[in-house]
Amino acid sequence: MQEVAVYFLHGLAYAGLLFLVSSGLTLVFGMMNVLNFAHASFYMLGAYFAYSLLVYTGNFWLALVVSPMALFVLGALVERFLLRKVHELGHLHELLLTFGLAYIIQEGVKWLWGTNPQAMAIPSFLAEGVNIFGVTYPVYRLFVFGLAVALGLLMALALYTTRVGIIVRAAVDDHDMVSALGIRVPLVFMGVFAFGAALSGFAGVIAGPLLTVFPGMAHTILVDAFVVIVVGGMGSLGGAVLASFIIGELQSFGVILFPKFSLALIYMLMALVLVVRPEGLFGERQ
Amino acid sequence: MKGKGSLLRWFWPLVAVAVLVALPAILPRYQLRLVNEALIFSLFAVSYNLLLGYAGLLSFGHAMFFGVGAYTTGLLAGKGAAMPFFGALALATLVTTLVGFAVGVLLLRVRGTPFALLTLAFNALFYAIAIKWSDLTGGDDGLKLFRPAIDVGITQLNTNAHSVFYYITLLVVGVTLLYCWYFTRTSMGRTVLLMRENEERLRFVGYNTSVSRLILFTFTGSLAGMAGSFYALFFSFVSLEAISIDMTTRVLLMTFIGGTGHFLGPVLGAGVYIYLQDFLSDLTDRWPLIMGVLFILIVLFAPGGLSGIIRSATGFFVRQDNAKG
Repeated sequence: MQEVAVYFLHGLAYAGLLFLVSSGLTLVFGMMNVLNFAHASFYMLGAYFAYSLLVYTGNFWLALVVSPMALFVLGALVERFLLRKVHELGHLHELLLTFGLAYIIQEGVKWLWGTNPQAMAIPSFLAEGVNIFGVTYPVYRLFVFGLAVALGLLMALALYTTRVGIIVRAAVDDHDMVSALGIRVPLVFMGVFAFGAALSGFAGVIAGPLLTVFPGMAHTILVDAFVVIVVGGMGSLGGAVLASFIIGELQSFGVILFPKFSLALIYMLMALVLVVRPEGLFGERQ
Repeated sequence: MKGKGSLLRWFWPLVAVAVLVALPAILPRYQLRLVNEALIFSLFAVSYNLLLGYAGLLSFGHAMFFGVGAYTTGLLAGKGAAMPFFGALALATLVTTLVGFAVGVLLLRVRGTPFALLTLAFNALFYAIAIKWSDLTGGDDGLKLFRPAIDVGITQLNTNAHSVFYYITLLVVGVTLLYCWYFTRTSMGRTVLLMRENEERLRFVGYNTSVSRLILFTFTGSLAGMAGSFYALFFSFVSLEAISIDMTTRVLLMTFIGGTGHFLGPVLGAGVYIYLQDFLSDLTDRWPLIMGVLFILIVLFAPGGLSGIIRSATGFFVRQDNAKG
């Protein structure tokens, strides 16, 4: 019973990370219809920036703030100067561009930081354990999950109560109409893309101490995030919440229940959803 | 097309064939190996372009067929198995065809971004199987195999000789590529093009586009499997790389660098890629980065790839095909 609780908590922490990465991915997809292959690369860059900041300053909190900001700028630049350029060539080219970008970032990271996994240190009070369900559980994992929930709530609050949020949601639904109403949709696109990149980078920073920082980390979470947005429904934030939870727990329990098939389990789920209900749990049928 | 026109039309292809046939006599061994490798990847890239350029289907899972072809060959020509050369090649292609059909049936319903995602997932699934089923695939160690000799009546062809293997590759890949080209001219090939342009209308006219897509997908899968089989025989070794996402990335880069709008674009792309890789990897370990930058530049500034550049520069690069609208 205790083991079940531990694995459940493990799953929650990973679900939190997944949600932070996939929420930006799903918003961008809903709005621009672009599946951003480089989205998880922002996550990886977030982790590496934080790692370097930690090496030079030793301040985790500084890294937690500065690294997502850097990715916000990078995301804005990518949208403005690369993605927008190929937009007129169609979705295929947009997909290919982000794919190429992910490839370059991957190779660039190997070049600058090497291929060995790097460990990240965390503030001492986060490194301790806390007693729940009669077992000592690392505080840091709870911290990760807590941050994800807090950010998710903030995002929901912003999307559903502020004017900007309303514009963003409207743009996800029908950007032509929003544009016709006199709102600068390209600017909204750029903002959401940059915000998604920052969120992804933030997830990378807090993932670093948990999963170590290595060049394969982008690909690992990218596939999981894809599964999340397929299962949850592309463009649906609520779907991303539920699907992140499902995938997070599936990954966590899959390893102990079906050690041989844990890798395949998640792909089978995605294939099943795409074949049975292609629009996902919360997606709109097109 | 009469007289001078039709003569000119055959001139360059004939020169190309003559040069390819003469190469073993001209080139040193190392260079010949590069050409051989480029030929194998030409087939892989052309099969990929039938999906990407002709049908407009972006797949991230083409390596699964390449890998299945390679591993099947590895098992058939490996330790203890004494399959004849062409038997191994044919059986590997057949197995891949079946795999392609099975995956294709599952993929029938989706297109666009979900198609790309699903192919990625299937590739990852096959990769996972290749890792986990290490009794069969050798896991991280890979599979070592031997090129079987070919019986020709009184004597045997030693396929380990570079020129012999080169000629076999040239013949089989050449004939297969010709067939692919012919395929794009058949009504089936035309249907694929129309499907890319306006699938709804095609369905309305009465075509069963799902069946067409399945046939095309299976066909490109078996071509990729054949390429994979040659790849295994060429290196006498199969590793996880053959079935990994890196292999899909490689064929995607080749195809796109060469250009998706012309039948020969991917052939050019494969050649350029192999030579560039050979050249750059001598200079720096970071050559994949350069490939990636080249790819992005082409996506941004020359969506037609190298063949598109050549075409617009000279308007001379063989007869135009209407593969790209």
